[in-house]
Amino acid sequence: MQFFEQLVNGLAVGSIYALIALGYTMVYGVLKLINFAHGDLFTYGAYLGMTLLASLALQDRLGVGLGLLLLALMVMGLVAVIGVVLERVAYRPVRNSPRLSAVVSALGASVFLQNALMLIYGARYQVFPDLLPQTALDIFGLHVPLLRIAVVLISVAMMAVLVLFVQRTRLGAAIRATAIDPSAAQLMGIDVNRVIRLVFVIGPALGGAAGLLVGLTYGQISFTMGWIYGMKAFTAAILGGIGNIPGAMVGGLLLGVVEALGAAYLSVAWKDAIAFLVLILILIVRPSGLLGERVADKV
Amino acid sequence: MSRRLGTGYAAAAAVLLVIPLVAGPYWVDVLNNIGLYALLALSLNVILGDAGLFNMGHAAFYAVGAYTTAILNTRLGVPVLWTLPVAAVISAAFATAVARPVVHLRGDYLLVVTIGMGEIVRIALVNNVFGLTGGANGIFGIARPVLLGHRIRRPEEFYYLIWGFVAVTVLLFHRLARSRFGRALAYLREDEVAAEGSGVPTARYRLLAFAVGAAWAGMAGTLYAAKMTIISPESFGFWESVVLFLIVILGGSGSIPGVVAAAALVVGLPEVFRGFASARMLVFGAVMVVMMIFRPQGLFPSRLPRFRPADLTAAAPEERPAGAAEGAP
Amino acid sequence: MKRTLTVLALALGLSSAAPAAAADPIKIGLLAPLTGSWASEGQEMKRNVELQTAEANARGGLLGRPVELVVEDDGGDPRTASLAAQRLTTSGVVAVIGTYGSAVTEATQNILDEAGVIQVANGSTAVRLTEKGLQHFFRTCPRDDEQGRVGASLIQKVKASRVALLHDNSAYSKGLADEIDALLKARNVNVVFFDALTPKEQDYSAILTKLKAAGPDVVFFTGYYPEAGLLLKQKRQMGWTVPFLGGDAINNPDLVKIAGKEAAQGFRFLSPPIPSDLDTPEARAYVAAYQKKYGEAPSSIYGVLAGDGFRVIARAIEATKSVKADALRDYLVGGLKDFPGYTGKISFNAKGDRVGELYRVYQVDAEGRFQLQP
Repeated sequence: MQFFEQLVNGLAVGSIYALIALGYTMVYGVLKLINFAHGDLFTYGAYLGMTLLASLALQDRLGVGLGLLLLALMVMGLVAVIGVVLERVAYRPVRNSPRLSAVVSALGASVFLQNALMLIYGARYQVFPDLLPQTALDIFGLHVPLLRIAVVLISVAMMAVLVLFVQRTRLGAAIRATAIDPSAAQLMGIDVNRVIRLVFVIGPALGGAAGLLVGLTYGQISFTMGWIYGMKAFTAAILGGIGNIPGAMVGGLLLGVVEALGAAYLSVAWKDAIAFLVLILILIVRPSGLLGERVADKV
Repeated sequence: MSRRLGTGYAAAAAVLLVIPLVAGPYWVDVLNNIGLYALLALSLNVILGDAGLFNMGHAAFYAVGAYTTAILNTRLGVPVLWTLPVAAVISAAFATAVARPVVHLRGDYLLVVTIGMGEIVRIALVNNVFGLTGGANGIFGIARPVLLGHRIRRPEEFYYLIWGFVAVTVLLFHRLARSRFGRALAYLREDEVAAEGSGVPTARYRLLAFAVGAAWAGMAGTLYAAKMTIISPESFGFWESVVLFLIVILGGSGSIPGVVAAAALVVGLPEVFRGFASARMLVFGAVMVVMMIFRPQGLFPSRLPRFRPADLTAAAPEERPAGAAEGAP
Repeated sequence: MKRTLTVLALALGLSSAAPAAAADPIKIGLLAPLTGSWASEGQEMKRNVELQTAEANARGGLLGRPVELVVEDDGGDPRTASLAAQRLTTSGVVAVIGTYGSAVTEATQNILDEAGVIQVANGSTAVRLTEKGLQHFFRTCPRDDEQGRVGASLIQKVKASRVALLHDNSAYSKGLADEIDALLKARNVNVVFFDALTPKEQDYSAILTKLKAAGPDVVFFTGYYPEAGLLLKQKRQMGWTVPFLGGDAINNPDLVKIAGKEAAQGFRFLSPPIPSDLDTPEARAYVAAYQKKYGEAPSSIYGVLAGDGFRVIARAIEATKSVKADALRDYLVGGLKDFPGYTGKISFNAKGDRVGELYRVYQVDAEGRFQLQP
């Protein structure tokens, strides 16, 4: 019984990892860059969501469903803007520099964003107003909060949309092409800068949405939450195969489940260590991930 | 090293020698901190700067050394200075064991693996692994070092111990850079394929770089443990590794004087700007981005060693003095 | 250039010609986490002690000398704290109040002790701090073993036969859990679960599920209020109704904000009395004075404990007519009996611990208020 309950727990947490992992994987696929600031964009989504929720009170004016939808769109839009600015300021200037410069720049951007948030909102924990119904389903003797199921469904839906976009549209093809070989893509007439900007719109938007979801689900956010979620999401992206979008989803869910089961049957105190261990093992045993990575071989 | 650099070092040494006589214990302690960070950064420099391996889990080696000293001293009564070599060996062994399966990974991946490794070490320390590490409390009651019958207790006394160690390290690492090993590291950093093709055993040398870097970090850990007399996992977290990484990059990876100078800046400046505590980190992040855009080579970039004819004739008999005889520095 | 020199000379001349201060001030230090994770505690500590300093100076200072407060930030981190302590020792303070957080205080003990400065901690409850034989260390806050005793009694009072202990691996939290564990085992109560969660996370459903599977009658969580709030909230979402108990790090109004009123209702925790429950007339007057100066009542008892720390130091200085550490120490141990602190009567034993029982039980009511239990 505990096994199935933990399974559900794991899937719920894992779907959040998956949403965030999408941002990492897309950016890495196109730029070969680990966007350390991505976790902070996730945090921004949560905080902006909280502020807008409190100040605009859309749920009162338009009803919970429509209000939250509109809120989500606004949050995603705002975080996407931050993402684009981030790319322009911290990443584009070092695009042709050695890898190390990009890494340091990403770290610096992460530190900057995190502390800016702290200065604006203060160091204390912030609380989301309690909006969503706390009802639960009782199936097969499992007591499953509806909210958890909703989170999984929303995440999967968003990922499905993204996969369709990347596989079936011209812009999506442009993204894939740039991921495979930026110079060749440029020669084929693809505006690489525009593609990169697009990636930095989609990735952060999804990350911001994840932040909002986390805020609504757990009710409590802090300005450092991006660090651990970011690390786990990155692990998930690598687990599934970096650059591989369905891989990010599989990786996220799998990591969530492994974590939950590890906590249940081994020890809760080592939960995070288990996640990192998974990361290291995957990189040693199968660095291309479960579903295979989709990046060009850049030496 | 070049004569200019040598004079620079001599001047710095002269200044450093007299500082404790004029500055109060607070500033001496700040300099102690700078010294420790300089040691750590120099040790990371071997891995990151010389060998070009992205290591962002260096605090783990520091922790292994500090905890080795703490455990040996508090449980077995081993005098602190005697634990120095033990800490070095155990850190090096640990680094070799951990790096072995991952040392072939490409840049970014190695970076993330080292982050993970650092975190695992920290979590293990907090969870009191093997019942030895004291959990979140850490270990307290570490004895002071005794050198030639004199117990080193006050900041001024630690100052000479730490900076003496730094001086020895700087000299040793300069020798290392010019040695066969050092040159091989530079080679495999610049072009791994060519190095392998020239017969440099890249995997082995990378591991060796890790081992050397870890050994030194371990010894810095011993000094830290003796100075604080209590250690806890909080001092060895991810952020420490990031700061060390940054010091090496900002100083100019591979450049020994650059790294020491950067340590002084990164550790010393916040003390000067204590008033702006919260904005400090913000500025730090911004500086990182700006540096990478405008001066990615760091403050004092290292230059590739220039060879003097003397180096070649002093080498093994089969090396010939023809060619590569650039002008004396 | 010449002009600047003249101006400088004049300034120097004027400043030295200024009437010598009536007497040079007595400097008292405050070590507090003004930044970092416990900034809210640190800020309250500062407010309390500053108010005390102002009141002391309004009464003419100590031994006819004005009191000067030297404040240093320890950032809630041992290393920053040790540097801050170093700075205090060089600034000429005769005593230091602080700090909050046992690991942080521990990093400063040796430095202050070696410099011969009296230290009165207000928020460091780890037992071992006073078990080292340090002669100059005191604390106005209670110790974890006292809390452990009260905790074990509470558990027995609710007649629990299967107990789960949950901590967060921090020094304070694990220490308290260990204390309670030992006491329960000595009384033959079955401890069915003993593990730690990772703080600063969001999702504790995994550990709650595991807890539930162990089938306890009561769960005692010894960690801090953010995690406690999340635990209560998620436990309710799971539909699990086993009662939870908490230690004093839970004592923070944000607990109810995070958990939600329904989830928090009925939750009990241990704590020294919160400022609004301090019932002596002097304490009430003090709370009113604090409210007048700062616009809100003090919310943390640790801040008030810092204020009491200042007052015992002041009393020691006046009683011994000295600022020498040994004289102060002898007075605090031997001479100070039942000093009327705002937090209750204060006396110190030879180890530097506060004598007396301070811990009480609180319950959260339906409105989210903390009600003192008899």
